[in-house]
Formats: sequence, C-alpha cells, structure tokens
Amino acid sequence: MHPVLTEFLDKWVWSTAPGAPGADFRLRITRDKCVKGWELALRTSIAEIEQGLASGNDEWKRRVAMGGYAGEGVQMSIKQMSAQLLSVDLAGQENYIDLQRMRARQVWDECKHSKLHFEVLMEKGWVKSERDLAQDPAAHTQPIPAYFGLSMMFPHIHPLARAAQHYFVEAIACLGISAYLSLVDDPMVRHEHLSQRDEELMHFMEGKYTIDTYCGEPQDQQPVEDTLGFLLHRLRVSL
Amino acid sequence: MAKHNSSWTLRINHERCTECRMCYLVCRELDINAVYVALDPLHRIEIDTDSCTYPGCTACLAYCPAEGSIIEAESGRSMVPPPAGAHRWWLKQTTDL
Repeated sequence: MHPVLTEFLDKWVWSTAPGAPGADFRLRITRDKCVKGWELALRTSIAEIEQGLASGNDEWKRRVAMGGYAGEGVQMSIKQMSAQLLSVDLAGQENYIDLQRMRARQVWDECKHSKLHFEVLMEKGWVKSERDLAQDPAAHTQPIPAYFGLSMMFPHIHPLARAAQHYFVEAIACLGISAYLSLVDDPMVRHEHLSQRDEELMHFMEGKYTIDTYCGEPQDQQPVEDTLGFLLHRLRVSL
Repeated sequence: MAKHNSSWTLRINHERCTECRMCYLVCRELDINAVYVALDPLHRIEIDTDSCTYPGCTACLAYCPAEGSIIEAESGRSMVPPPAGAHRWWLKQTTDL
C-alpha cells in the first residue's frame, strides 16, 4: 500500500464514534472495496503528476487548472447541487435536514474551487481575467466524467447515496492533494491545494459521519452499496 | 498515550478550526449538546465544558477534518486526528459496565 494512503487511513478513516450504528458497515466496505479504489486513484494521480513534472514545462499545470475550473466552476456547482437539494421529497427533507444543510453549504465550497483554479491561471499569465474564461468553451466543458460532472452526480440524488460519493470520491480528492503537496513545489499549485485540503477532508467526513450515523440497517446501507458499486465501476476496479 | 484524567476538557483551537460544524452536528446527534455556536463575538464554535463528557465521549474527534483544531485544554495536545488510544478510556468504561 502506498504510504500516502496508509497515512490517510490511519489519521482519518479508522476512527469512529464509539457505538456508531453504521460504523461496522463503513469499515467493512472500506476494507473490502474502497481501499482498492483509493490505491488505484492515488497511483494514477502520482503517475500524472510525475509525467507533468517530467515534461519540463508548465502546460500540464494549465491543463489541470482549466480542467478544475470546468469541473468545479460556479455554474456547474450551483446547477448540480441545487438540483440535488430540490429533488429530495418532502419526507426526505425532514428526515435528512442536516444532510441537506451540509449540501447547501457545499455549493459555496465548490464555487470557491473555481476561484482557486482561476488564481493559478491568472498568476501564470494564461488568462487576464475571469471574463476570458467565460468566453472559452474549454472552461465550461468536461472531456471526462469528472466527479462533479453530470454523469457522476445526478445518479446520487438520495442523501445516503451522496454519502457514498462523499466518502469514496472526496477521499480520492484528499489523496490527490496529498500527492500534489508531496511532489510539487510550485507555490501557486501548492496554494491551490493547501486551500482545498481541509475542505475536501470535511466533505469526506460528511460521508463518514453520514454512513456511521444513518446506515445501521440494511435498507439504509443499500443506497451506499449501490453508489459505491457505480463509482468503482467507473474506476474499473475489480473486487 | 498520556494517562487520562476524567476531569480533563476539550477546547477549540481557533487558529486551526474551519468552522465546518461537524463537531456540532455529531454532539447534537448524541444529545450531549456541548458544542455550541457562541454568538458573541464571532459566531464561533465553542465547547461547553460543563456539558462535554470527554474523555467519556470522543465522538467529535473522529469527524473533525481540521488537524489540531480540538485540543485537550489541560495537556495542550492536539486531539485531531484522534491519537491512538483516544477511545481507550471510553472502551474501559463500557467494558466495566
């Protein structure tokens, strides 16, 4: 296992609230499924970073920042997450009001990401203003199903399905950030990732807390299992 | 791990806390309600040491994402992420029941 993943597991994953009803379930899916996906995603990130560093120029940083802006831009975040909030029926709103509040707060978190990507693009001289980005289709389209992309988010409408997305995918974000911080010394890239480090971890904790607290019974575990299966399939992880 | 004293308390390190309120949610879910939002002066998260049952409960530590943001007031040590054995005191109590 890669040491970055080992450290992440030891620091943030294994601890639980004593007596949390869904903790056994979470730890089981972590050991049986998530760790394989996390390991694969981390090694992929490291390979991409190393390839970028080996290129000897900054083009890969522009590509990453542009892709991040497209995937996590203001319009994308508001559109997707508002849709998720509104699609929960009235009974669900009452049952999961804390989770709904968390998601509402995350709309703002995600909008902030686009500013960090923009700061890199501007500081490096690739764009003069955000108006430039508004006129560039590449800043608003996603060539791959990014985790904030339509194809990844809209299937996860149920609040407990979102927990799997938070738990599994935000951990990948955390691991990617750790990989960047361990390999890249560019101050702008580090600024971009340091600013997001605690936030991504907070979203991961939302998933961890939701599963531990709400997923003690099989019917509440099913949305998590279903979504995790979908996410692992997207990563082509064979279990 | 340092020996726990049952009268030790937790407090928020505002230099590190991001005000995400995960600890508030967790504490309220357990109906302990020791974590609260102090309206004055900055709507910041605080811990009511009279209500907090630490080290009997360590739940908030397991879900806090900001390293070093909850500390043990008496020893000054960071409790996020929870150090190995942080739950040991709690486990001993339940074993003794």
